[in-house]
Amino acid sequence: MKIRSNWYLVMLFAVFMLVLAACGSGEENEEAETEGETANEENAEEADNEDSQEVNLYTSRHYDTDDALYDQFTEETGIEVNVISGNADELIERLEREGENTEGDVFITSDAGRLHRAKEADLLQSVESDVLHENIPENFRDTDNQWFGLTKRARVIVYHPDRVSEEELSTYEALADEEWEGRVLVRPADNIYNQSLVASLISINGTEETSAWAEGLVNNFARTPKGGDRDQAKALAAGEGDVAIMNTYYIGKMLNSAEEEEVNVAEQLEIFFPNQETTGTHVNVSGAGVTANAPNPENAVKLIEFLSSEEVQDEFSEANYEYPVNPNVEPAELLQSWGDFEEQDIDLTQLGENNTQALMLMNEAGWQ
Amino acid sequence: MKFKHIRPTTTSGWGAAAVFLVAILILPTLFLLVRVFQPASENWDHIREFMLKDYFVDTISIAVWTGLFSVAVGTTLAWLVSAYDFPFRKTLKWALLLPLAIPPYIGAYTYHGILDYTGVVQMTLRNTFGLELSQAYFDIMHIPGAVFIFTIFLYPYVYAITRAFFASQATSLIESARVLGSGPVQTFFRVVLPVSRAAIVAGVSLVVLEVLNDYGVVSYFGIQTFSTAIFQTWFSFGDIDAAIKLAGILMAIVMFILLLEKFLRGRRKFSYSTTKVKPLKPVRLYGWKKAVVVGYTGSVFLLGFVIPVVQLLYWAALTFDYIFTKEFVSYIWNSTFVASVSAAAIVVIAILVANYTRMAKGIVPAVTARLTILGYSIPGAVIAVGVISFFIFLDEQLMTMLGASSSLVLSTSVVMLLFAYVIRFMAIGYNSIESGFEKVGMKFTEASRTLGMGWTETFFKVDVKLIRPAIFSGFILVFVDILKELPLTLILRPFNFETLSTMAYRYANDEMIQEAAVASLFIVMVSGIAMYLFHTFIEKEPN
Amino acid sequence: MHVSISDLSFSYPGTKEYIVSDFSLHMKEGEILSILGESGSGKSTILRLLAGLEEPVKGTVRVGDKVFCDHGNVVLPVEKRGIGMVFQDYALFPHMTVEANITFGLKRWRRRARKERLEEMLALIGMEEYKKRYPFELSGGQQQRIALARALAPNPSLLLLDEPFSNLDAHLQHRIRAELRETIKQTGTTTLFVTHDQEDARVLADRVVMVEKGTVQKAGRPSEVFKDTWNEKLLEV
Repeated sequence: MKIRSNWYLVMLFAVFMLVLAACGSGEENEEAETEGETANEENAEEADNEDSQEVNLYTSRHYDTDDALYDQFTEETGIEVNVISGNADELIERLEREGENTEGDVFITSDAGRLHRAKEADLLQSVESDVLHENIPENFRDTDNQWFGLTKRARVIVYHPDRVSEEELSTYEALADEEWEGRVLVRPADNIYNQSLVASLISINGTEETSAWAEGLVNNFARTPKGGDRDQAKALAAGEGDVAIMNTYYIGKMLNSAEEEEVNVAEQLEIFFPNQETTGTHVNVSGAGVTANAPNPENAVKLIEFLSSEEVQDEFSEANYEYPVNPNVEPAELLQSWGDFEEQDIDLTQLGENNTQALMLMNEAGWQ
Repeated sequence: MKFKHIRPTTTSGWGAAAVFLVAILILPTLFLLVRVFQPASENWDHIREFMLKDYFVDTISIAVWTGLFSVAVGTTLAWLVSAYDFPFRKTLKWALLLPLAIPPYIGAYTYHGILDYTGVVQMTLRNTFGLELSQAYFDIMHIPGAVFIFTIFLYPYVYAITRAFFASQATSLIESARVLGSGPVQTFFRVVLPVSRAAIVAGVSLVVLEVLNDYGVVSYFGIQTFSTAIFQTWFSFGDIDAAIKLAGILMAIVMFILLLEKFLRGRRKFSYSTTKVKPLKPVRLYGWKKAVVVGYTGSVFLLGFVIPVVQLLYWAALTFDYIFTKEFVSYIWNSTFVASVSAAAIVVIAILVANYTRMAKGIVPAVTARLTILGYSIPGAVIAVGVISFFIFLDEQLMTMLGASSSLVLSTSVVMLLFAYVIRFMAIGYNSIESGFEKVGMKFTEASRTLGMGWTETFFKVDVKLIRPAIFSGFILVFVDILKELPLTLILRPFNFETLSTMAYRYANDEMIQEAAVASLFIVMVSGIAMYLFHTFIEKEPN
Repeated sequence: MHVSISDLSFSYPGTKEYIVSDFSLHMKEGEILSILGESGSGKSTILRLLAGLEEPVKGTVRVGDKVFCDHGNVVLPVEKRGIGMVFQDYALFPHMTVEANITFGLKRWRRRARKERLEEMLALIGMEEYKKRYPFELSGGQQQRIALARALAPNPSLLLLDEPFSNLDAHLQHRIRAELRETIKQTGTTTLFVTHDQEDARVLADRVVMVEKGTVQKAGRPSEVFKDTWNEKLLEV
């Protein structure tokens, strides 16, 4: 009897799971159909009838704001957006494996180096679009029009005004000087933002000089690199170090955090745009390209055009604290409050070309 | 055929099915492993000089310390709840499994969040007591910190397996030791631990494999390990061949350690089977002993479950309004669906294979059995690459058969993900089923055969029924693991397919731990329910 | 009396039914006594109570100059009682050699004394060449002898045997019964063993106690007890 009742329990559990699963998959389909199209059912049906009215996205950006923008795109065009989000390098590998059979139309990632790598692997195709040419300045798109920048991120120096005055700060290069010994905070070397910063310095100053710089910087580390960008900000507030290298939009996010104490931390800190007198502040982009074997290339272009439009660019800036690439769009108020700045003037593809060298150099310098 | 073989052979239905299934499962891995033997790329020198040496040392020290601490915590807890009676024992018995429901990387974010500058601890000290202490006191982002995180969230593997063993095997040995004048502590070290060696090794090897494969915790903590090296090689050098080479080395180390343990065990036998199994009679504790035991078991539960869950609840409360949308229900369903389907598939395959390998003799079944662990000893993201290659290959075959009009069928469906889960978590299901078979031995099977039933009949009427607890525990362990799984899910899922763990990752990856809390809590909840069912089932099952 | 047990009673917590009720027994030093009963008669529970593996509801147990239980209160825990026990399945430690098994209870002995005792015990059971073996490498009869040697090694004040022959082949039983009595008598250990087999009791025991429903039905020398017609019935069963 006892044994039997156990079996009922198991069966019950199994049935429960199956019901859940069945509902789940059913719901999922419905969801997919209506996802983009909550308001306009007719469009959804249209999209259903015409197979080609969709665009498939491989993205390594995972923001809620992005999802909302895709919904808006579907609403405006009737083209459904299907998404797989994942790690950029794994998505590149997946595209490569799928070859000409891929279902992916658009590849989006948040680093120019990765976009370049996808291009090098022949995973992207050239796109001729007046809209894109108009919306995106030349230095933020690929020379062969294989990828297009959508948002900019500036990697800056953040400092604690109690311990550092603005006059002391000048360039990335200067952070390797002796006066900063034991005062510099930055996250680990495996982070792509750091690798791209070093890659950009390699193109500007050359390998040897950058190598020496990295060694000097490592000597000045306040602690073993750890955590994410936000953790560097917290360490600044806690007095573990005096300056931190980080992306501006993390400060934006902390200022708008759900947790009060994070807001307090961010409010104590100041942003400094380095290299204003010299080579400009390091800027990276997140961007998109149409895949080489895209089944829906027209829709893919439409989506990228949409993402570069003024309305969407404004949203990127307002909701995610990134700088718009579209010159007609003003950055969000918060971003404006940090002031204008000169950007590094280098070909962004070099971030990709120098990536391996950058990491090797960091490893050799002992940047963990 | 005129007569039936005494044992199934590789050519019989059972054997062929088992070997075939395992072959299918290791095929994608083999797709990759052939690359291990390719000549070294130009990056290899750099990798060897600047990554391997240091990374190797860190990796080994994290794995060894975590292994030791999980054994210490897991076995003592299992021993205390089996041999002693103290307040809350009944609840703790299953509650001590719960830390397994929290993915270690979420645990790492959570603990760091509790302890960092804006965390509740420092905030209270600072804002209420005006204390500003050195950050060094609150820093867990180092090797000891990682060992703590892994131990506190992975020890349940050791706990679960050894506790089941104590309950079923060791009673008369323990009584016998006590009659011979051995006190409780001595009995534990001289008899209980050595006798449970096989069970402990089974548990701790799951822990160590999980640690070796981890990328989330170590990369967040800025610790360089073998898996950091694998991913840096892959991502930054774009050199997936070298990455696979590294994974191959990692796998070789794992295999070496497992074999070494087998070798050290020598001809001693640790399993002790008897027809008469009495449950261990727990001894009631009083006074300071009671206080110490309640304190110890209680604090492990607090650290491994209550504290992180309370912190997650607090964060979830901050973000619930805008994070929990109606789509969330579908994420829960997706998670439960893939986890239960794959867990069921794993259990069925594990039973087939284990039943064959225990009955057949020779090199083929022995190798077949060991191969099941292959998928668990390679980082998930690397397996994913093998699985994609394999499915694209299958799809191409399909296309040539069906004509050019068709497109990718299998590799864009959820089947690919399910298949990958089966490869990855086979080891866990198989370990459980195999130990179940070991426990019941061959005698009942043989009895059934003498009563005129064939292998197949015996299998369904006797074998499967006898190992029900093992089947159930295998299912639950795999189920919980798949709920937490990330790298495979991320890369192999079909379009628009979100699960709880991809949702948690989506935010945690961008350092939005408050937003990640809601999905994390749902993972904990679903796993918790599954584990509770597991517990009630095992408790009711007569030993 | 070397062993005195009075009014020993036992029931499982939460049940009213007594497994052992008001069991009393006294033994002289060096005596071999058999408790005979069918399965479920409570005879094994009596052994476990004496060993300290179960807690009695009431009763007093005294062995030599040690008090084990006093009116239902456990005074000495198992490991302090200094008794020997041979389990039905022998419970030899599977991870230890024969040598380590036998010396397990001698941890407080001096090294040399321990070694001497080991040799003595091996000689007693005639298994000198087997000391490096593991239990699973031995036959059932050999395992039983090792279990006996292990129990006798620390010079127990009382030896308990739980169904010592139930795991042996019939033809072995005959020979081993005689051997066992010989070995025990040589050491002069006071011994209590439970069995369901009259033959065991007849050959081994100085005295037999018949138990049913946890109480003594009859006691006396084997020849006296088994004469009875009431017992003839038992024999058939």
